[in-house]
Amino acid sequence: MSEANVKEVASTSLPRPHFGPLTRMVIVASIVLIGVGVAPLFMDAYSVNVLVRSMIYATIALTVDILWGYLGVLTFGQSAFFAAGAYATALVFTYGGFSAEYAFAALLIGIAVAVALAGLVAFLAFWHGASALYASVITLVLPIIVTQLLFSGGTYTGSSSGLTGFETIPLSSEAWFWAVGVWLVLLTAAAWMYTRSDAGRLLIAIRENEQRCKYLGLNTSNIKAAIFLICAAIGAIAGWMYANYTMVVAPEIAGFTFGTELLIWVALGGRGTLFGPVIGTIIIDYASAQLQGDFPFVWKLVIGIVFVSVIVALPRGILPLVSNAADWFRDRIGIAQPQQHSQLQLRQASRSGRNIIGVESRGPALVVSGVEKRFGSLEVLSGIDFEATYGEIVSLVGPNGAGKTTLMTCIADGSKRSGGTISIGGHDIAHRTPEECVRLGVGRKFQMANVFDSLTVGECLQIARARLDPLSKWQKSGVCSLPPSAMRVVRATGLHSDLNLPAQVLSHGKKQALELAMVLALEPKVILLDEPTAGLTKAERTLIGTILTELAKTEQLCILLVEHDLEFVREISSRVIVLHQGRIVLNGSVDEVVNSELVKSVYAGSGH
Amino acid sequence: MVPVLLDLITTAAILYIVSSGLLLVFGVMKLINFAHGGLMTLGGYAAVMATAMGLSPWIGIPLAAIFGGIVGLSMERVVVRSLYNRPLDAILATWGLSIIIGQIITLVFDRGVHFAEPPIRGVISILGEPYSTYRLILIAFALLLGVGLTLALRGTSLGLSTRAVIMNEDLARGLGINSGLVRSVTFTLGSGLAAVAGALITPLSSVDPNMGIAWLISAFMLVLVSGSSLYSLAVASIVLGGAQVVVSNYFGSVLGGMTIAALAAVILRIRPQGFSYE
Amino acid sequence: MTEVVLAVNGLSSGYGQATVIRNLDLKIARGEIVTVVGKNGMGKSTLLKSIMGYLPKFSGSVSMAQHAITDSHPHQIARLGVAYVPQEKALFQDLTVEENIRLALRGSASWNEAKAAIGRCFPFLLQRLQQKAGTLSGGEQKMLLMARSLSVGAKMLLIDEITEGMQPSIISNLVKIIKTERDRSDLGVLLVEQNIPFTRAVSDRYVLLDKGEISGSGNTRDPDTHEKIAAHICL
Repeated sequence: MSEANVKEVASTSLPRPHFGPLTRMVIVASIVLIGVGVAPLFMDAYSVNVLVRSMIYATIALTVDILWGYLGVLTFGQSAFFAAGAYATALVFTYGGFSAEYAFAALLIGIAVAVALAGLVAFLAFWHGASALYASVITLVLPIIVTQLLFSGGTYTGSSSGLTGFETIPLSSEAWFWAVGVWLVLLTAAAWMYTRSDAGRLLIAIRENEQRCKYLGLNTSNIKAAIFLICAAIGAIAGWMYANYTMVVAPEIAGFTFGTELLIWVALGGRGTLFGPVIGTIIIDYASAQLQGDFPFVWKLVIGIVFVSVIVALPRGILPLVSNAADWFRDRIGIAQPQQHSQLQLRQASRSGRNIIGVESRGPALVVSGVEKRFGSLEVLSGIDFEATYGEIVSLVGPNGAGKTTLMTCIADGSKRSGGTISIGGHDIAHRTPEECVRLGVGRKFQMANVFDSLTVGECLQIARARLDPLSKWQKSGVCSLPPSAMRVVRATGLHSDLNLPAQVLSHGKKQALELAMVLALEPKVILLDEPTAGLTKAERTLIGTILTELAKTEQLCILLVEHDLEFVREISSRVIVLHQGRIVLNGSVDEVVNSELVKSVYAGSGH
Repeated sequence: MVPVLLDLITTAAILYIVSSGLLLVFGVMKLINFAHGGLMTLGGYAAVMATAMGLSPWIGIPLAAIFGGIVGLSMERVVVRSLYNRPLDAILATWGLSIIIGQIITLVFDRGVHFAEPPIRGVISILGEPYSTYRLILIAFALLLGVGLTLALRGTSLGLSTRAVIMNEDLARGLGINSGLVRSVTFTLGSGLAAVAGALITPLSSVDPNMGIAWLISAFMLVLVSGSSLYSLAVASIVLGGAQVVVSNYFGSVLGGMTIAALAAVILRIRPQGFSYE
Repeated sequence: MTEVVLAVNGLSSGYGQATVIRNLDLKIARGEIVTVVGKNGMGKSTLLKSIMGYLPKFSGSVSMAQHAITDSHPHQIARLGVAYVPQEKALFQDLTVEENIRLALRGSASWNEAKAAIGRCFPFLLQRLQQKAGTLSGGEQKMLLMARSLSVGAKMLLIDEITEGMQPSIISNLVKIIKTERDRSDLGVLLVEQNIPFTRAVSDRYVLLDKGEISGSGNTRDPDTHEKIAAHICL
């Protein structure tokens, strides 16, 4: 049924002239900018005053949303970068006096300090193997340390009372309103364009499945660090505006409490929606200022209760609720909804040749010699020696616990084995990380289909190509180039008609096929497949089998596969390796293995 | 030298008391209870109430346990239970609960600072140096708490079930252990302990609606470096608490205030399992 | 017709969206020992995990001693008298032998009865009650697993590949113990295995599992049992 929908969309939407979301965004942004322009003329001075601050806060909330809502890094520390910008400004003005040059210098110093701090945090929080909780912990420690440093500055930083009475950029409240309003609109529009661009989808891919991204050859630690640094710089700019505008800074703005307040605004507005956090921040901060006088404690209590309820019952925040209601209303009054999906086009990729090994390589594709793996005193693999050449399909079989998956892991991640050497196309993998192994030409498919559930099929394929075809940072390119091998899998399994479906609605079999296509999109020379047929129907197994044999032949791929379905192994393998208790007990042709008494006894469980 | 040494030991004892409830919840439920600070505040106000009603200051402690237990049980039932599979959201939701507790306290009392009558006043002379009797009593209390919790976990059948859930929840369920019940009981106990800790520290710090927050971060960092072992927590309290006392003494209390957080972050970077021996 | 302890009707289940068990029917009577035989990856462990309530059931129903347990939690199923012996991580390595057994005792089952059962089946364990389970050898750990499942007064045992890595002499002892305990308390036993000699020696019936579906079954006393199972398991 969903397939039928897609086809229908394809046929009806193609002839229509393209009135894209980009155009709509420009229209909306212009309307908002006009709104920003006229608003101060109709508001009382107090409201203008408060809203300037609210809008400054909204720019930091925007960065928190990018980090938490898109990238999945729950950060408590954006307040520290805000404070870096604000204190840099206050200190420069207090001790240097005000001038336009100093104001500019203060901005640069603030950004530099924030970026340096963010670099330190990123170094600690995003290393290979750090957990999401650890990253959050580091962002939590940051504001605590910064606050203490501000206290320890004594009279120089004003200690607990902060700094005040310095001269700043002489602008009226209205002028500040316009400046900050324009900055907020531009920032939000830029963030919107970035997050819906091809590169923005990558943030979601990292949030959903960082491991898969690494095995697609993407250096996720660097990507996270880069985003984090940019967000820190934006935070510092907000701090600079804040200090200039309010003419007062206090240690509270660096603190953990302000850091969590930002999270509350983002959560209430709707994480991962950009507009939600911006609108949420402005409304809540403005309302707080209005209500603080009359019901200060009750208001905060209400916010607390709403916050807890939203986290529990509406994890995506309030904005999605509003937009769903709007959709429902539009349906009711019969206005057709504009089609969201732009059709993604598949293209044949020209050979990129960016893998270290070229096509012309000679010699064995994979050499494993003396590989060992120990967990403490437990020896999982020992003395593993074998070679595999291009165009060969080698099956690894053996009972549970024989070490098959462990061996795969050792080939795809240089840091995993305890001893021995592995080389791919003549290059020693040494202690290379998974993403570096991908550069050597290793592609790995996991046992359970490992795709990005909330991205579309087309986006999953684009992410898989990201290493070879850099993603556009400002638009949806609408194009995905695939090498012939991946293209063949996509066409043979019918995935080309599902390109705009979220991967999570695919059948199990199609998910497996999608992951295989993603691995092939890396243009690997050696592919590792862990139980590619698990949970597939008979027909799907046959299809995958045919595709794999073809690929080995036409693309000269070296395919290493772990499989329990011995019938399948017999049909497609050129060679079979039998592992038992961490050792190779047999390495031979299919016939040799099938007729081996040893293998029968291993499988029948009648001893060794 | 003697006062520094005593400060070191008593600080470790206080940190142990403050963190043990959080550790229990983290060990069993694998989630961080950010309402721990709010619950400590609640305990502090229980002590204030005991003083206000003219009761013996000792009564404040069981009173805090009851308040904390009831509030903890209801939080687990209404909020925490639905967040077992969303650990980062659980941090935020419990932080929200902490805000709610703080605001209700502010509405009932006010924003100002309150004082609770300390159970014991005065000083004792140790090797010729006068030292606060109450701080010394806290050492005994920390020891009692450690031994008591260990005995409860080792000696009772509920304790055995709890340890089983910590080690391997799926296996425990397959043997007929109702892990949901174990979680409820643990959260209640952890909350009660937080409130008791809050009551116990009232003689050392003033009572205001934010008193727990400063402690929350220290407790959180200690638990992260201790994994789920009460023994590791004792080691962590002595090492990190000791470092805090030393830094405060020689470099000022401001730098001392960030010692635990900074040191724990570094320890976790070098050794992700922290002080636990796994 | 003897009383059915465990009844599985039209069960489909699996992980996430992957269906591993497809429309499977199975009935086990009191005092009956049934072995499900299949190669790795055919859904044997998945079957036991779904009966035990660890995995969601997509369709079908399961009942235990007339109680519907289709939507029950593992601990509720255990309390109805089902003793489950998983294949991996089945012991608390840091707890003592005694604690491992005590954890499984509920309600009516007393420690003295449990000790009596251990004495009958694996007397050596009585001398090692205070030893940490993790310090036992691999074979001893398997015996502790069996001891635990036999000492809790269960009506039904679910056992996942207990013979993997076990020495043949221990296996034949195990056959004796399972049969004696079955005769003693009219236990129903469902085993999952790849070991042909053990399957033939211990069970009354066998069921062949292929890609989540039953592809054959028979009485273990039939003369062609070995050939049928071997053809199913080997290449």
